[in-house]
Amino acid sequence: MPSKTPHTNGDKPVENGVNGTKDVEMKEDAPAPLKGGKGKKIKEGEEEMTVVVPPSKGSKLSAPPKDTDGDVAMDGAEELNGEDAGAVKIDPVAKAVADIKSNFPLLERAVTLFDARFTLRALRSVSSIRKRLTPDILAQVITETYPSTSPAAKSLLVAIDREDASFTKPTSTEMDIDGESKSKSPKKEQKEVIPEVDIFLGILIQIYYLDNKINQKGAVFSAHLAERIHALNRRTLDSLSARVYFYWSLFCEQMAPLPPSPSSPVVSIRPALLAALRTAVLRKDIDTQSTVIVLLLRNYLSTSHIAQADLLVSHTKFPENASNNQVARYLYYLGRIRAVQLRYTEAHEHLTAATRKAPSSPSAAGFAQTAQKLLLVVELLMGDIPERATFRLASMERALQPYLLLVQAVRVGMLGEFENAIKQHGETFRRDGTYTLILRLRQNVIKTGIRMMSLSYSRISLRDICIRLKLESEESAEYIVAKAIRDGVIEASLDRERGFMKSKEVGDVYATREPGEAFHDRIRACLSLHDESVKAMRFPMNQHRLELKNAQEARERERELVKDIQDGDLDEDDLGGEFEGL
Amino acid sequence: MAERELQDILRKLKSSHDYSACSSLLSKAKITLLKLKALTPQPTTPSSTLQLAREVFEAGALLSIRAKDPDAFTRYVHQLTPFYELPPERLSPAHSEKNKITGLYLLLLLTQSDYAGFHTELEGLELRQGREGTLEQDRYLGYPIKLERWLMEGSYDLVWKAMASREVPSEEYGVFSEILISQIRHEIATCSQTAYPSLPISSTKNLLFLDSEGAVVEFAHTRGWLIKDGRIYFPQQSKVQVDEEGNTKELSQMAIENTLGYARELETIV
Repeated sequence: MPSKTPHTNGDKPVENGVNGTKDVEMKEDAPAPLKGGKGKKIKEGEEEMTVVVPPSKGSKLSAPPKDTDGDVAMDGAEELNGEDAGAVKIDPVAKAVADIKSNFPLLERAVTLFDARFTLRALRSVSSIRKRLTPDILAQVITETYPSTSPAAKSLLVAIDREDASFTKPTSTEMDIDGESKSKSPKKEQKEVIPEVDIFLGILIQIYYLDNKINQKGAVFSAHLAERIHALNRRTLDSLSARVYFYWSLFCEQMAPLPPSPSSPVVSIRPALLAALRTAVLRKDIDTQSTVIVLLLRNYLSTSHIAQADLLVSHTKFPENASNNQVARYLYYLGRIRAVQLRYTEAHEHLTAATRKAPSSPSAAGFAQTAQKLLLVVELLMGDIPERATFRLASMERALQPYLLLVQAVRVGMLGEFENAIKQHGETFRRDGTYTLILRLRQNVIKTGIRMMSLSYSRISLRDICIRLKLESEESAEYIVAKAIRDGVIEASLDRERGFMKSKEVGDVYATREPGEAFHDRIRACLSLHDESVKAMRFPMNQHRLELKNAQEARERERELVKDIQDGDLDEDDLGGEFEGL
Repeated sequence: MAERELQDILRKLKSSHDYSACSSLLSKAKITLLKLKALTPQPTTPSSTLQLAREVFEAGALLSIRAKDPDAFTRYVHQLTPFYELPPERLSPAHSEKNKITGLYLLLLLTQSDYAGFHTELEGLELRQGREGTLEQDRYLGYPIKLERWLMEGSYDLVWKAMASREVPSEEYGVFSEILISQIRHEIATCSQTAYPSLPISSTKNLLFLDSEGAVVEFAHTRGWLIKDGRIYFPQQSKVQVDEEGNTKELSQMAIENTLGYARELETIV
């Protein structure tokens, strides 16, 4: 291979042929024109080393679409670029460009194999690329990926204000090919850059806008992108389109009149999202469907249109096999809606599931905290006291501090402390959107207070209750206690003439159905966990055939063994006979 | 043209106090609105028309409250919602009866014991105007909010006082007092049924906010309470015991069902 390096013009190998080995050669040749005056020799040396390992992967990746000479040239060019930049680790720009480009083969593979997992893998790398995105890097990727005539590339470049960027790389290949073989040029057009790559770059541009707070333009661009996806109608785009809608809605949320105001742009995006949802359902596009449902819920709740959100929930069916993160989000919003509607048991169920499903990585700590806060308030509203351990988790401790005060106040039933906590942290609660829920807690504090007193005293005057709970009058105290008795909070009776509350003997908890119910709940949780994990398992295709084959082999072996044993038995018998004989 | 007509109708509406005359005027106004295509706010509707439309609906809402027609009122509230959500530059919030009507709507939900609806509405209000002062300080909105809190706590005497002591923010709110009073009386009755073994008639009068002992006796009869030697006895003790027996039976049945369930599940797993 080193002997071939002297070829300086990239088109030679194209003439040579198309087999695998030549692919590798090309990679080495083509970079030559790219590299300027800086240390050509050294670089080539490096390349030899780097190329040794990846070519097999490279040639495999570009293998499927390889049917014309032109194709190979293009692929080779892309590949080599990645490798070339990979070799020069010092340059962060080149590294970023390479990282972005390394996703294109994944996307191509997703299309050819029709497997969404590759797309997801490409999307996963976005978070690492995100920090390094600049318009220049994007422009470089675009100019190097597309031929100059591509309208898609033009629009992408316009979006990042780099419309004047010159199409350095592909123009040269184009020219080469045109010069070499004009007859092949129509074929060359078959190998267009796949739309998945367009959209992927679109998403990167969206992210760039988002990180730099260019919301207005971002929203407009996203609208175009969404339209394009809709027109393309390709199943391999599904998970990408989910992302596009996600960022679009984020732009709208951050634009001028912020969400609580009814004129915020989030309202204007609703028709688009609803249309997307309809299309996604019809096309059985689970990714988009789940994402858009979650976005709509978030949208409605941001302007507190709870009734609409509730209607949406009742009219749509959340896809069962949506990605875990979307399920967690959906459950969180559902829990929120139910909490507002005073359906605490359901809210509790959904929120517990949401906190359990929340990804445990530190980058998702925000979601876990928000869900946990809401869960705490709902637990308090249900009359339960959250466990102390929840507040000790390192990732939660600080965020939950105000809630800890609240829980302490509710636990001992001190109305004064409770009001202090609200006064002190009102702003925080308001920001978390739990304020109105917390206001409802007042009655729970009173109830706990009454319960504490009923447990500690067998008889207590209403006046004392009134003083302890800082109520306004004895009359109120009487009504409140009566209500508590009716609601089954305490077991007691009132004596109106003498003005006291008399507690009944507290029965043994273990004689009631309570322990049985708690046990049943836990067992049910375990069983559903088991079911879910069974469902979540993924089996490789056609594995069972292999197993069948194995089983057959095993059976044969067994049969042989049996035969052997039978023979052996005979031998043994023989031996035995011999021994006996001896 | 049509707008002037509408203004005329509105002026007549405000001066008139006769219900049937008003309702016919209202339907005329609504037809005019329909001609103006302003029954719901369109992006093209001029703000002056929007203003008129809002006034018509507000008048209609208040009128239906006075006529004790909750369904019509709810309808008007729903029709008003899109108007209230318009940005202030399109429809200035001045001269709007928004808080009054929202407060009335909250109270209506409260009397219908639709607590979920009440809190849903409240959550929205809290978010939308949380910035400028709290809701509780608003004269119209604070009233139903306070009532709800007292009702939930059980401070029925405070509810009673609030309704009796002319704290009621406007005459329309008085309409609901009647309903609320009978509602809390019912609540108190069920509470005392479980809380007291027996009650003297004289203090029951105060407890239930009734005017005379005769009224107490009458009320006791409607609820099926026993009156003996000037005391009221509540016939509920035996019922509870039956309940408990039913519970124990259910308990054992449930335990069996659950255990069978576990066995079945275990079988599928193993």
